[in-house]
Amino acid sequence: MLIWFLPVFLLFLMIGLPVFFGLLAAPGILLFLNGQEKDITLLYRNVYNGMDSFPLMAIPFFMLAGEMMNKGGITIRLVEFSQALMGHLRGGLAQVNILSSILFAGLSGSAVADTSALGSMLIPAMEKEGYTRRFAAAITAASSVIGPIIPPSGIMIIYAYVMGESVAALFLAGIVPGVMVGVSLMIMVRLLADKYDLPAAKRVMFSGITLSPLENIFSFLLVRLNLGLLLSTLAPLGDTASTTAKWLAFGAGVLVAHGLALGLRRLVSPDFRLVCKRAVVPLQTPILILGGILAGVFTPTEAAAVAVAYAVVVAFFILRTMRLGDLPDVLSRAALTSAVVLLLVGAAMAFKTVVSLSYAPQILADYILSLSDNPLILLFLINLLLFIVGMFLDAGPAIIILGPILAPIFTDLGVHPVHFAIIMSVNLTVGLATPPMGLVLFVASAVSGERVEAIAKAILPFLAIEVAVIFLITYIPAISMTIPRLTGFVQ
Amino acid sequence: MALLTGLLLPFQMFNDYALRLGRAIGIVAIALMVVAILIQVFFRYVLNHALPWPDEAARFAMLWMTGLLAPMAYRRGGFVAIDMVVRMMPVRVAALLSLFLLLVAGVVLAIAVQIGWGEVTGFGGRFATASLYLPTSWDFSSFYRIPRAWMMASLLVGVTLLSIVNFELILRSIITLLGGAGRLKPLSAPEQEIMAE
Repeated sequence: MLIWFLPVFLLFLMIGLPVFFGLLAAPGILLFLNGQEKDITLLYRNVYNGMDSFPLMAIPFFMLAGEMMNKGGITIRLVEFSQALMGHLRGGLAQVNILSSILFAGLSGSAVADTSALGSMLIPAMEKEGYTRRFAAAITAASSVIGPIIPPSGIMIIYAYVMGESVAALFLAGIVPGVMVGVSLMIMVRLLADKYDLPAAKRVMFSGITLSPLENIFSFLLVRLNLGLLLSTLAPLGDTASTTAKWLAFGAGVLVAHGLALGLRRLVSPDFRLVCKRAVVPLQTPILILGGILAGVFTPTEAAAVAVAYAVVVAFFILRTMRLGDLPDVLSRAALTSAVVLLLVGAAMAFKTVVSLSYAPQILADYILSLSDNPLILLFLINLLLFIVGMFLDAGPAIIILGPILAPIFTDLGVHPVHFAIIMSVNLTVGLATPPMGLVLFVASAVSGERVEAIAKAILPFLAIEVAVIFLITYIPAISMTIPRLTGFVQ
Repeated sequence: MALLTGLLLPFQMFNDYALRLGRAIGIVAIALMVVAILIQVFFRYVLNHALPWPDEAARFAMLWMTGLLAPMAYRRGGFVAIDMVVRMMPVRVAALLSLFLLLVAGVVLAIAVQIGWGEVTGFGGRFATASLYLPTSWDFSSFYRIPRAWMMASLLVGVTLLSIVNFELILRSIITLLGGAGRLKPLSAPEQEIMAE
């Protein structure tokens, strides 16, 4: 009887009950009808216990860091940097839009924030350069889905928590798929360039750029220290090297990095150098987060808190783009968003308990296995299902609902849990840009002033290439699994 | 109609002020979370001496932040829902369906408040937190060990505030159904609450 909670839940969802209430109402009703009134208390307890979690704290922290960076004016720096790198290519500003999304993804992890921040800046600029508004809005929406794929990622933290996976492993597994989505979009832009007669842009679009002496020093130091650290890891010191040897290797690395920087300085123009320097401080955030996690220095939650501290230093002291008066608004936005997500995750943990009690995964597994026993065909079917779900439901709630049901089935079929997490995350994230209920389509429409229907039509070629990438990720596990395996986060 | 708008007014006023206060406390809570974890990072990695309390204090703040801010998000329409069916329906039918959904939410919240009260005042709430103490003297010579009930109360307060917001929304929905939508004060503009996506 308890298995009926799933259709009841879907019915509630379809008629518009907020997911939070649906996650509790459907199992609650069935438990009541099943004579298990006492287990309803268990639902409440699991909501509380589900929220009372240290790893979940990374969600508000990453949101806060993203909000702060955004408010602190890093978006323009990333766009300038992307412009300097790719602006001269055919369809320049469209390529800049995609590269900016890839870079922005390393700071924010939110597709909505990406669309809203980059869209408000790049869509008018693209229109000015001769792109149609619908095309500009479509490429902004399509590329924004990279946000939650490349770490840090809110939905991956949720998945890892609900399914008991390692956040670090999921973060690392998302890097290559995220970059692949970006590169595939760039290829599609190039293919469409002739058809739409897309213009090329100048390499440096923004003029009158300045750099404060403090930021200049920070950029100078950060580039050399990062490169020096990276180079020192290449030194064949062995496991038993002394601390002095490691420091010497690091010092040598910094010197080599400095030499490289001096060499490169002669090859590029002062404008290009300045734009690159201005991007160093914001781009240190993903290095800090991933570097800290990879080196085993921080847990993801601690890395997120450190990212917030870094954002404070950047926004208040280095860039000086934020005032104390801006802080309550930034904190409030991050807290409000987090509260909704945390409550939803708590309800998901309660829902998960009933999923287990009802034997739903086993029953669904039997049904799915009756369709075919070939994992490749089943993965195709599940991608189809996820894509359809993604058309109607946002990625976070969809993961919360479907993760506990689908993941155990495919893990039993031999799909690695981290690989399945990435398939699910990428597929549902692309769903954020699919009509009729694509969240980023609505945001792109609000930012650009273009109708949702027009953007939905213009985005189709980009969605097609993203679907192709989903299948590549599905059938070539190495795409997502190589980095976590090389770094020892997955066996 | 006058009776309904008269009944709505105290709920509207309460939610206006209480949720604003909740927002202010929530802002402090998220700031404290960051500070607590940074203190822990400093003590653990710089001084090599992990403290017992920051993790639990940060979770304490996170639970209260959630309990106090989720009602504001709900009032602003920030809870995720598929509203496609409601939007496709004729206005009257949509209003009726919305009312039904609010009633379902109301039942869920009423049960949650009842269970929540039992949990906070019951056996589980009597245990103390693992590491949270409150100084009870100015010279920090005596402390009170914070009970778990203080932490558990966050969800109870959250669902209670959600219930009050839900009741306000039910009244607004009935007024809309009866053709009085023009008399309703617009709620704050929805923000992009779902930035996690």
